[in-house]
Amino acid sequence: MKLLLSWLNDYVKVDDIEPAALADRLLNIGFEVEQIIDIGGGIDRVVAGKILDVKPHQDADRLSVCLVDVKERILTVVTGADNINTGDIVPVALDGASLPGGKKITAGSLRGVLSEGMLCSGAELGADDSVFEGAGADGILILPAETAAGRDVREILGLNEVVFDVAVTANRPDCQSVYGLAREVGAALGRKVKPLNLKYTARAADKTVAINIEDIGLCPRYTARIIDGVKIAPSPLWLRRRLRFSGLKPINNAVDITNYVLLEVGQPLHAFDLRSVEGGITVRRAKSNEKITALDGAKYELADNMLVIADDVKPLAIAGVMGGEFSGVNPDTTCVLLEAATFARGSVRLTSRTLGLRSDSSARYEKGVDYASVDTGRERALALFYQLKAGKITDYKGGAGIDPPAQRVIETSVFDINRVLGMKIKAADAVKILRALEFGVKQNGDALKCAAPAYREDVDNFTDLAEEVIRFYGYDKMNPTLPFIAEPLASGYEPRLKKIDALKDFLVARGLSEAVSYSFINPKIHDKLLLPQADPLRGAIRVLNPLSEEFSVMRTQLSGSMLDIVRLNASRQNTPLRLFEVAKTYKSAELPPKCLPRENETLCAALAGGGADFYALKALAGGVLQFFGADCALKYGSKSWLHPGISADVIFCGAVVGSFGKIHPLAAKSFDVPSDTLIAEIDLEYLLASKKPVAVFKPLPKFPAVERDLAVTVERGVAVGELIDAVRRAGGETVEDVKLFDVYEGEQIAAGSKSVALSVKLRSADSTLDESGVSGVMNKIVGALGAEFNARLRT
Amino acid sequence: MQEKIRTLTDGCKKLIGGCETARALGELRARILGKNGELTALLKGLKDMPDDERPTAGKIVNEAREALEREFAAAAAALESAELKAKLDAEKIDITIDSGGGVGSLHPLTLMRRRICDFFTAQGFTVCESPEIETDYYNFEALNVPADHPAREVQDTFFITDKILLRSQTSTGQIRAMEKMRPPLKIISPGPVYRSDDPDATHTPMFHQLEGLVIDKGIAMSDLKGTLDLFAKEFFGENSRTRFRPSYFPFTEPSVEVDASSGSGWIEILGAGMVNRNVLRMSGIDPDVYSGFAFGMGLNRITNIIHAVRDARIPFENDARFLRQFG
Repeated sequence: MKLLLSWLNDYVKVDDIEPAALADRLLNIGFEVEQIIDIGGGIDRVVAGKILDVKPHQDADRLSVCLVDVKERILTVVTGADNINTGDIVPVALDGASLPGGKKITAGSLRGVLSEGMLCSGAELGADDSVFEGAGADGILILPAETAAGRDVREILGLNEVVFDVAVTANRPDCQSVYGLAREVGAALGRKVKPLNLKYTARAADKTVAINIEDIGLCPRYTARIIDGVKIAPSPLWLRRRLRFSGLKPINNAVDITNYVLLEVGQPLHAFDLRSVEGGITVRRAKSNEKITALDGAKYELADNMLVIADDVKPLAIAGVMGGEFSGVNPDTTCVLLEAATFARGSVRLTSRTLGLRSDSSARYEKGVDYASVDTGRERALALFYQLKAGKITDYKGGAGIDPPAQRVIETSVFDINRVLGMKIKAADAVKILRALEFGVKQNGDALKCAAPAYREDVDNFTDLAEEVIRFYGYDKMNPTLPFIAEPLASGYEPRLKKIDALKDFLVARGLSEAVSYSFINPKIHDKLLLPQADPLRGAIRVLNPLSEEFSVMRTQLSGSMLDIVRLNASRQNTPLRLFEVAKTYKSAELPPKCLPRENETLCAALAGGGADFYALKALAGGVLQFFGADCALKYGSKSWLHPGISADVIFCGAVVGSFGKIHPLAAKSFDVPSDTLIAEIDLEYLLASKKPVAVFKPLPKFPAVERDLAVTVERGVAVGELIDAVRRAGGETVEDVKLFDVYEGEQIAAGSKSVALSVKLRSADSTLDESGVSGVMNKIVGALGAEFNARLRT
Repeated sequence: MQEKIRTLTDGCKKLIGGCETARALGELRARILGKNGELTALLKGLKDMPDDERPTAGKIVNEAREALEREFAAAAAALESAELKAKLDAEKIDITIDSGGGVGSLHPLTLMRRRICDFFTAQGFTVCESPEIETDYYNFEALNVPADHPAREVQDTFFITDKILLRSQTSTGQIRAMEKMRPPLKIISPGPVYRSDDPDATHTPMFHQLEGLVIDKGIAMSDLKGTLDLFAKEFFGENSRTRFRPSYFPFTEPSVEVDASSGSGWIEILGAGMVNRNVLRMSGIDPDVYSGFAFGMGLNRITNIIHAVRDARIPFENDARFLRQFG
């Protein structure tokens, strides 16, 4: 909120403290000053000057040459203005002056005449009629005739004002006001806070209005007063300035008073023209389809969960949000019904949100208005009506609602307060602080009985009192200690986290860099991944209120985000690329979900450029599976974004847990990534859950191995893996290892066939293999390959 | 005899010097010392000598033989090392050529998360995970933010349904931990959180936080101060201090914003406080017996401060040139 220091100074003396120092004090007690605004800060070296003479410029029709007395000396100033006369007092920007917006003024020649400064308009000084009478007019600002020449224009225009933009935390709605902050500042500085002026005299009322609250839950309290003989007029300058520098637009005295009180004591008020009230006032829920045209001129359709202030016939205002256009104060209003009430903050917020209508009043009600502030705010407004002679206050006192809440008394001890803080603050110091904050404190040795002021609805127990004490005692006096826990605690990482971290290290060691991307994606990614309409991956959980479509669904796979990252890097020529991401994918059986969805830790890796091929990716994916000790099978891939012939699905315990391969040419196109992009995605949940069995040592072989090479021709479609499996089956235990060392297709082989050369390592556990033993096994192998694959031995 | 041997020995030594290969040396050795070698022949001739001359002659021949053997061995060793050197010289390659490969890099966020987790685990904390998609209860209710509380507005939460949401803070992890474990407990819980902020230089709609929670009998706010002072020294330099500023969070009381001093000024690093009694009570922990502190820091924020990343969006862009700048 905006806090004018001159206004604050009305209640607690601060004009002897540098604004920066005051901001520091506020920070120490929990109110951060986000900005210090020096209203006239942009203005420098602009003073009042008396025009002694005005002559036309000899060489320019539209210019005049003035002699201006600025007290220290008499200047020659050239001006284009035509509203000035000898004897006028005007603002003069001297040589070297600054104006708002960073404009600099220097002496210079204008058509051959040296101008030693510039005469200013109100607008050039950032002033209008709400700041200074006549400042909004065109032409040079004519200052009052009694203004002394040489006086700083910031003082004359009331621009020598410093405004704090204070961040007030949500627990302190009472400090959303000048007076609330004055109380805090007073306690911080140890200075007395002056009471609000609530004085006025009331005359006998000749009108009354019955008040009735239908929904006490949404409106705990409603009070009203009648001010008669109202003369609608502009507010005095000092009031208009305060509103304006606080960010509000001055309107007329009656409305300005309600706004002034909102800023000063934090109580929203509303002024009705009593003529528009037919019968009594009822605070009730709106009828469905009930409509009202608000002060902003727009028509709103209300719902039955919204609260309205109504008379016997029609709604007059949307409670706590905005008044109706035809029930408000007009220039000819003579009798005002002043409303001061509290409304449930949740209700005001809901109404304001639903209607898309916010006001200073609704913003204030949403933060919470306490019971007592209704009286303070209303009485302060009446005192202002009285002080400004804006109307005659009558003794009508309308009101309805709950009884005042009981005073909250917290029984605690200095020991308990110190126990929270880990300090040894003396009882006298703690009591002094609490009393300065207007707590009623009864001390009995160490024991304290603290009655909270009515406006401190945030205070509930002794920890709140501990906070009050330390805020003013100072955290800088707290000595650091370390938590002492005697009981031994298991510390470290959950095993899954450890495993995931180790996996990341494994991938980094293989030359991959880690990416981190957003969990929500654009659902268009599903189309770019070529997912069939019925694909479960399209069943992504939607965010109800996304920032935009781009961040609207929780991803069910990581490949889409990864391909976007590949595109970005490829477009910036950052290839070759080796990237991975480990993140959650979110899956729900029902949409929208009725219970918390599964969050599956998932790995995605991409290789692009640098000559990496399917087998490079297979080695990487295989390494990951081996890392987890998972025994997986592969089959040709089924993922829509992968090349069907150059990709594989990973099968673990019968389930597809991942896929890897070359990108499908159509997906390469839709994502605009290089056509040699390779991408792998593996759901880690299955693998994280699998436990590596404890290794049992197998004695190392005692007898030498024999290696035999074997080259066969088979049909082109026969998979090498299947040949190797057949070799193992046929050779039995004697086959220790089978390695592929060549695949050949070409001139020396029949068309449609290929030659596969394998190296077979044979070993017996209990003897040295002799030639007959070796050839016996090899014959069996050749026989089996012949029978199963029609393989012929190459010689 | 003596004369004969000297001539033979001298001649042989000269020939050894002239051998340029191991092979030539071998042939020479065979010719002199071999079965039918010249010196061997002299040795064989000893048997025809008179008995009184034989011992002296034998001694002379044997000495000559031993001397020649030494010469041959030395020459062989010299030749061998010269040949090895020549071979190694010939095999020399250009070591300035690169063939790609090399290790990759962890994302700076992961590096920072690890550093911070390692720091806290060394002090006896356990790292726990908790869900990102949460119920209203864990994100608000159990953290003392009832339905009409203004703090709900401030957070600007992404909702999935009216009861399920994307957690806006890792404080949800506090509640999960308190439900799972009994005090004393010391946990940290890192992970992504989500807030409805349009991406700009200081905001991203997803970022990572790290929550800390300590609960036991007699935990005081000064313990929070001590713990965070150590943290500041570790991450912002040995001379770094912390500054507590009073603040407000519904789930702590008292609450503070914590700044760390770093060179020129104060940097806001986290929010913290003593766990609110209502929060303890709701999680089944008796606030009259136990107390605790909690803190929550923005991992992205701290990462960006320490690595001088000036735009919050850059780490999520994943430009490989950015990623490779970190270990």
